Amino acid sequence: MCTSFKTELLQAVHNFTNGTGDTFKLALYTNSASFTAATTAYTATNEVVGTGYTAGGGTLTNVTPTSSGTTAFADFADLTFSTATITARGAMIYNDTAAGDPSVVILDFGADKTSTAGDFTIVFPAADATNAIIRIA
Amino acid sequence: MTSALTMDFPAGFQVGVQTSNNRGFTPEEIASRCADKIVSVSDTSHPAIREQAKAFKDQIEKVLAFYMREAVKSDRTTVYNALMDAGHPELAKMIRNL
Repeated sequence: MCTSFKTELLQAVHNFTNGTGDTFKLALYTNSASFTAATTAYTATNEVVGTGYTAGGGTLTNVTPTSSGTTAFADFADLTFSTATITARGAMIYNDTAAGDPSVVILDFGADKTSTAGDFTIVFPAADATNAIIRIA
Repeated sequence: MTSALTMDFPAGFQVGVQTSNNRGFTPEEIASRCADKIVSVSDTSHPAIREQAKAFKDQIEKVLAFYMREAVKSDRTTVYNALMDAGHPELAKMIRNL
């Protein structure tokens, strides 16, 4: 989780509401990319290049923030790059609406993932208080 | 009096990635992913609850896969007719025989 994102939440930079909120995108990166919690914004450096993938990545479908018990959470629907020939080691979710494309979170796939003339799908966890990708407990 | 807000990933957290080569995903593969979104149960829940949830999830997955196959077949019928109307009978036949 990017530290700058936590600060920006308190500055009302991000709106995850489905339909009326900001547009969030997911960009894929090769294993040459080096991100940390100090990463603050989208970059095209070391971004994946390949058939079925456009620089900037794919647009995510927001799951409107809600809460369960004392935990608030937001999530996204799965994202598929269709008929893609690409290899990616990780991804960045960033706010494409906010000025400067501020980053939200960096995702490490654990190893290179490859699709060849096939589908490359990012599977997000279930949108609940124990699994959602963005939770405030 | 107050607890600190926490919003970091638990240890070992990884987002899932599924890929395919030279094909798309099958209805069964997508149904499995869909069932994971509909039914989730904690590892720490009572074993009886966990078993019940798993049985329900397995059943949901079969129903989802069936109707996804139906949707694929129906869409091919639509594509077949669109290609026939556009004057591509050979291509239409290929789609119907997939």
